[in-house]
Order: sequence, then structure tokens, then C-alpha cells
Amino acid sequence: MRVLIVEDEKALVDIIKKGLEEEGYAVDVAYNGEDGLFMAENEPSDVIVLDIMLPVIDGMTILKKIRRAGVKTPVLMLTAKDTVMDKVSGLDSGADDYLIKPFHFEEFLARLRALIRRDSEVNTSVIEIGDLTINIATHEVRWGGKNVLLSAREYSLLEYMAVNRNKVLSRTMLSEHLYDHDFDLDSNVIDVFINRLRNKIDRGFDKKLIHTLRGAGYMLKG
Amino acid sequence: MVVLFIVLSLLGAFLYLSLDEIVYNSIDSGLLSRAKALATLVNENDNETEFNFSDEVMWEYNSPKASVFFQIRRFDGTITEKSESLRGSDLPFQTGEKQMNFETILLNGVPARMVNFYIPYNGGTKGKETGKGIKSNRRGLIIQCAEDIDEQTELMQNYLIVLSLSILFVMIISASGVFLIAKKALTPIKEISETIDRISESNLSERVTMEEIPDELKPLASSFNRTFDSLERSFNRQRQFAADASHELRTPLSVILSQSEVMLRKERTAEEYKNALKAVGEAADMMSQIVRKLLTITRLGADKVELKIENIDPGEIISESVKLLTPLAEQKAVGINVSVPDRLVVRGDRAALLELFVNIIDNAIKYNLPQGRIDISVKKEKGFIITEIKDAGIGIPESDLGRVLDRFYRVDKSRSRDLLGVGLGLSICDEIVKLHGGRIDMKSRPGTGTLVSVHLKGAEDAAQA
Repeated sequence: MRVLIVEDEKALVDIIKKGLEEEGYAVDVAYNGEDGLFMAENEPSDVIVLDIMLPVIDGMTILKKIRRAGVKTPVLMLTAKDTVMDKVSGLDSGADDYLIKPFHFEEFLARLRALIRRDSEVNTSVIEIGDLTINIATHEVRWGGKNVLLSAREYSLLEYMAVNRNKVLSRTMLSEHLYDHDFDLDSNVIDVFINRLRNKIDRGFDKKLIHTLRGAGYMLKG
Repeated sequence: MVVLFIVLSLLGAFLYLSLDEIVYNSIDSGLLSRAKALATLVNENDNETEFNFSDEVMWEYNSPKASVFFQIRRFDGTITEKSESLRGSDLPFQTGEKQMNFETILLNGVPARMVNFYIPYNGGTKGKETGKGIKSNRRGLIIQCAEDIDEQTELMQNYLIVLSLSILFVMIISASGVFLIAKKALTPIKEISETIDRISESNLSERVTMEEIPDELKPLASSFNRTFDSLERSFNRQRQFAADASHELRTPLSVILSQSEVMLRKERTAEEYKNALKAVGEAADMMSQIVRKLLTITRLGADKVELKIENIDPGEIISESVKLLTPLAEQKAVGINVSVPDRLVVRGDRAALLELFVNIIDNAIKYNLPQGRIDISVKKEKGFIITEIKDAGIGIPESDLGRVLDRFYRVDKSRSRDLLGVGLGLSICDEIVKLHGGRIDMKSRPGTGTLVSVHLKGAEDAAQA
């Protein structure tokens, strides 16, 4: 999952980015409104974390502009403004959720997960595909009752494919949602991770979950 | 009102008594002349008294409707003659009284005025009388003349009633007049007081409307308004402080919370913990700076701040400021060039001006390029001492120039955060300069640098000394 953070407080961005990356998210950062608007419109993010008080262009304006431009990415407003009116105008401008500083990191993660879930067909924090269960809150993956140990990247790939199950996902789409825009896109990396996942999940079972669609990409069927 | 009542009552009593005296005096003098007239008609010898009353004279006393009466007694009290008008009654007599006297009596149930006129017997004993007066004379006549004063009494009573009613009427009229005038005069005061009652924490901006208030009360109303103005200002300042503080403290608090929570999610290396603690420390430091500067600015903004205005040499303050900032400037290898002409004097508070120049020069160093330079010059123009601080730093975009004096405004926080700026320095400067009756002008071009001009009041005469 790829998160765009538009926030001008560098110290805050640093730690959020670190925490999110440890959770397996790919994180892009914009430190001002202008960059934020550009990235929101052009980077394929799964969720946008948007501060309201920003240099150059404020968060509220960015939100209105990207919604008008047809960007449907869920937006979590992150702000120091805490009046009811601020919340209302934020939500009315097209924000999907609103988090007031100072916030707890766990709550921040939970809200991000809820926003990502809302955007997919998954409604609970546990995704079940056949014998495979993925807890997106704890990152616990079970396969036929047994715990499967995955690296952060492997987990992210599996979660993304599970959230978008039964959809054809190209190598570009996968890498775009798993890596931030600083990453040198080399689709071979995706193949490597797909192989590792297959080794940990599909090996030894008759019913395969991960399917290769020649020339198009991969799909998690179930 | 009570005083008015007393004055009117005294006046009324005086009028009544004066009229009473006039009326009785005229009656009394009439009675006396009657008595004297009767006396001329009396002749008394040693044993006999002769009355030479003619019918014309007696007619007046004997008619049934007569309102005048007479009666003649001897000194021992025996009645020798009396008018028919008295009918069965006698005029009262008190033995012992031997002088002419007037009294008011009740005759047949009607008030009357009476005179007792004494005529001593002269015959034969005249010589003995000398020096001993009437009293020594055992013989003589008393002519008692009386007149019905029912009418006069009634007149006096009517007069008393009219007078009392008049006083009462005047009292009522003046009381209601006073009440109406007072009510009219007090209405605006009541309105003012109602307005003041209405003013509370939530609508401190409400004021007494000056148009509807009479001129006499305008000073009162405007002083109320001024009081509430300053109350509102200080209240707003407190509210602004609370809002600013909570807003600005939220971000470093988020950093501290996130740092500790993310770090505690799993085991970390010592290096990671060290970095986290450093970040937490910086956030806490930021918070303490914010709190300190907010308090400074709130104190400066309060009306009660007392400036010790004196004549100050701007060169001295500037070189003191530069000296304080030399370590910071050396760290960034920024050169500071100061040129201040002699014999310039500004009017200001030494401590406040030092804070002002330290803040501005501090900014000029922070936002300067490494190995950049700062030029500080002072000139005099139209009574103002203008200090120009020019840096060759990153500059401020034109769109932000108008807002840099606002609290917490930072042009680009992601950049200046490293410089530990909290966006309060310039607004503190602004407050200080405003308190001195001056102003700050800023010119800037991104990439070229910023020129800050501080206008402070100069001291004309002192400059020559």
C-alpha cells in the first residue's frame, strides 16, 4: 500500500514515514501544498494523509482541487485545528476521515487501514481467501491454520493482492503501490517477491492462489 | 423634596400668621375706637354713673342682627350697662386685670374679639392716683366692646385651607416634575447600565451607542466604552494566546507521541533509540521555546507593560546585539558590517530595543547563506531614526511578505524548522516597535535577501547635545 503524506513539519514526517515503512507501506512525502497537489494528482497513492496548514497551497484547497479533478483516493486530514467547524468543512471538502494532532500512532494506523478497506471490497480487518486468512491489523497470515512468516515487503504484496483479489494486477501497478516514487522501478523485483510468496503460500497445496497471466501480470484468485 | 416641603411650610405659616395679625389688628383698632367713643359718653360721679347714649349710637348695638356688642362694668365686676345685642349673655370678665387688653372669646357659640377698656374714676381722688396707676384706684368703669369675628375666622380658615392645598399642589407638581425629569435624565444611564449588563465574555464587542446619549453623559459612556475596549483587547489577547499555544504545541506533541509509540513497537538498535530521543528532545525544546516566546509576546501586548523610555544611542544597542550574536554568526561564517553615525539618539526602552535588534539580527543570520553578509546602517529621517538590517539570505516571497509579522508565520516550515525558528521572533519585534510608536518595513526578494527597516522615534533636541 502506498501512502502520500503532505505535511510541512519535517520532524513529524520523519517519524510517521519510519513507522509506516516498518508496517510495510510505501511512503511518498510532500513538504508543501504545491508538491502535494502535484503528487496527489499524479502518483498512484492508496491513501493520502493531508495537513491543512501548508505553505504555498493549503490542504483544504488541495482537497477540493483533487476531488474536482476526479481523484478518488481516500484522504485522511491531519491537522492542529480542532473546532467542529474545521472538521465539518474538512469532511465537506471531500476528506474521508479527520485526525487531530496530537494523535496516537496506533490510531493513525487503524484509521489508514479503515480507509484502505473502505476503498476495497473488504469490510473487516481479516481477509479470508479459501484457507488463507490475512489480518491486516496485526499482519498475521495463516494458511490452513498454520502461521506463515512473511517479510514486510512480502506481506505488503500479499495484502495488496488480497485487497484487490480477482483483479489482474500488472507488474507496474504492483510496484507502484508497493514502492514510493523514489524507487527505481524494475518489474523484476516484483517477480522475485511473487516467487517468494508462492514458496511460502502455494507450495505443497493443490489449489494455487497466485496466478500468472502471461503478458498481463498476476492475480490472487479465490 | 423634604427641604422644599419645609421651606414651603415655613413660608405658608409666615403668610398665615401675618394675615392673622393684620386681620386682628384691624379688628382690635376698630374695637378700641368703639370703646373710646363709648367712653366719651360716660360721666361718672362719686356715686352715680351717667350714660349719654343717643339712639343713633345705640341702634348699632341694639339691632337684632348686630355683630357688635358692648358692656360696661364697674371695677369690681358689676355690670352697669350692656347692649341689647348681647341678649342674655355677658361678656366675660376677669378680676385683677386692670389694663386695656384684647382677647378672643366665645359668645353664644360664635367666636368674638373683645377689648377691655378701663376708665378710672377721676373725681376727687385724682391727686392720689398719681404714680400709683389704675390699680390703686378702686373705682372706675370697664368698657368692654366685642365684635363677632365668625367671618374673619372663617376667612382665615379658608385661607389656611387654600394655603395648605397650594403647598400640597406645589409639592405634587414638583415631585412629579422631578420624577419625570429624573426619569428622562436617567433613561440613558439605564440604557448604559443595561448594555453593560449585557456585555459578557461571549459578546465583549458590544458597546454603548453614543448617538442616543445626551451630551452630558457622553464622557461617561465613552469612558465605559474605553474600559471595555481595553478589557476586550486583553481578553482577546488571552484567547489568542490560548489558541496559538494549543495550535502550535500540537505538532511537537505529535512528534513526541509518534516517536515514542513507533519506537516501542519493536526492539531497536541503540542508534535508533538515540535518534528517537534526540527527536523527542528537539520537539520538547521547540515546545519550551514556543511557550516562552508566547508569554513574552502576550506580556508585551498587555497594556500594563511599562517601558522605561530614555535617550539611547542606537549604535550602542546595535553593537551590543551584534556582540550577543557573534557566536551564532561565526558558526555560519556570516560577516556583520555595522555603520552607525555618531550623535544619533532614539527614544526607547533599553531592554526592549535590545530584544528587538537581537531578534532581527538573529533572523538575518539564520536565514542567511553560509558565508553571507549582513549590513546594518542607521540614518535619520523626518524625526525618525531608521535602522536598516540587510541580509543576503534566502529572502521571502512577495506573497508572504505581508504575513511575516504574524504570530507563528513561517515562510517555509520544512526549511526553517532546522533553524529552530518558531515563527514568533518577528511578531515580538512588531509588538516592541508598535509600543514605541514606530513601525517595521520589510523588502525582500527570494534569492537576493531581505531588508528590514526599523523606524523608531528620535530625540530632536538631545541629538544636538
